[in-house]
Amino acid sequence: MTVYAPITPAADQLTAFFWDGAKENELRIQRCSACKRYQHPPEPVCRSCLSFALDYGVMSGAAVVYSYAVARQAFHPWFADKLPYVLAVVELVEQPNLRLLTNLVDFPLDSLVVGARAHVRFQQLADGVTLPVFGPAQPAEGPVQW
Amino acid sequence: MVSRGRRVAIVGVGYSEVGRRTGLSLDHLTAQAAVAAMQDAGVTPADIDGVAVHSYPYQFVSANHTAAMLGIPDLAFSSSSIEGPAYSAAALHGLAAVASGSAELCLTVRTVHASGAASTTASHGASAAIAGPQQFSAPYGDLSGAHFAALYMRRLMTTYGLTEEDFGAFAVAQRDFALANPDESFFREPLTIDQYLESRYIAEPLHLFDCDYPVDASSALLFTTEERARDLRQRPVYFDAWAHATTNESDFNLVEDMTHTAPWRAARRMWSRTELQVSDVGVAGLYDGFTFIAMQWLEALGFCGEGESGAFVRAGHTRRDGIIPTNTDGGACNVGRRHGANFFIEVTRQLRGTAGARALPNHPTVGVVTNGVGAFVGCALLTVD
Repeated sequence: MTVYAPITPAADQLTAFFWDGAKENELRIQRCSACKRYQHPPEPVCRSCLSFALDYGVMSGAAVVYSYAVARQAFHPWFADKLPYVLAVVELVEQPNLRLLTNLVDFPLDSLVVGARAHVRFQQLADGVTLPVFGPAQPAEGPVQW
Repeated sequence: MVSRGRRVAIVGVGYSEVGRRTGLSLDHLTAQAAVAAMQDAGVTPADIDGVAVHSYPYQFVSANHTAAMLGIPDLAFSSSSIEGPAYSAAALHGLAAVASGSAELCLTVRTVHASGAASTTASHGASAAIAGPQQFSAPYGDLSGAHFAALYMRRLMTTYGLTEEDFGAFAVAQRDFALANPDESFFREPLTIDQYLESRYIAEPLHLFDCDYPVDASSALLFTTEERARDLRQRPVYFDAWAHATTNESDFNLVEDMTHTAPWRAARRMWSRTELQVSDVGVAGLYDGFTFIAMQWLEALGFCGEGESGAFVRAGHTRRDGIIPTNTDGGACNVGRRHGANFFIEVTRQLRGTAGARALPNHPTVGVVTNGVGAFVGCALLTVD
């Protein structure tokens, strides 16, 4: 039986901090040293003030589900035995509209809603590669009205 | 009204052979469509001095090679767009070239192979490591347009109470148009709402029948000035107004408001550039890469209120005798994924009176065409004198 490798991120100079952070179980998001705004995905320049002085901050991991979809078809063979899996866009509590595409894990599908509170977890994808994903917030709280 | 240069007419339209697996190269399909459009217009390659194509790098057909292959002697204008709202990207470049005087007669083309439609695997290839912005999405299994579409649909359902039955009603209504277009439609039987709801989920809440139908196809349209159009074979169809719009995010998943993406900006921009009103429009070709996209355009253009597209479609207002007959060829869900060009071609045929048995009883003189959703879109108003 063919064993397929997962799709992995090819970290580069701009993005290494994010993936290095995930390995350390930290959710790191790019932050402008001048205006202190966060932005994701990382860019070479601050979208808010055009400063090139960029660093990162470590997030609390608290987030709210902006939208989600339950993937039922695999578009890459590695995902065939992962179905169904949940794709989601979550908004981090640190800044309005600061969002990531991610997977939701351990949410019961029949009660999952937009506005659900979520918290980051770290899932090893391959040797040396860890993905930040999101599970239910603990202790559970009611969804945010959105 | 702000001047937008010379008045531009669509004077020829053409398709290649279209099929699931034609075995024809991208160049071959492109040449077939271009020749068909030239025959439709009654022009020769020597008359053409501009080419605008839209083409992704992994299925690339260049404007310069298209011209050389067809024996077009000299390009005063050339554009090979690799990002933007599909065919309408080529259309907006081509019509701007004619309007500005950069070209006199411009060929615009969109060519696709079915293999590029279903997933981004075609563009990623076999490589297991993904660089660039997709490193933040592909490892999570975000690999298909169906994935952003499902995220948008869930958000619309939550915000407005839209339902799967609403999206299904659009698929059902559109299939009925396709039944009257047997030469182009890939489907011969009506679609029932139960069949739609029972069709498998690609990514819940998105069903198989929300998706356009991947095909090998090329589509070509010829644009020229009002003066030259008068001497050509077909009744000219004019661009009255047009618009392009983007969101401030280039990533479809990260647009600020999934319920108000670029169509809302483009529609506002287009209406600001015309004296026509939404009530003047008698036929619509609204991009249906996924059903909800056409429905977002119905709202953005003002055919119905915000969040009301589901009720509007279920009431039959997009059907042949409805308020705004929409996708009268059957749309890309039925005639295949021609990536936006079929809407320009079908609305042109309706307006100039070459739609045959599909000719609408309301004899429209104004039509609207749209392409895209999310991060970048294009749209235009077409008229006949």
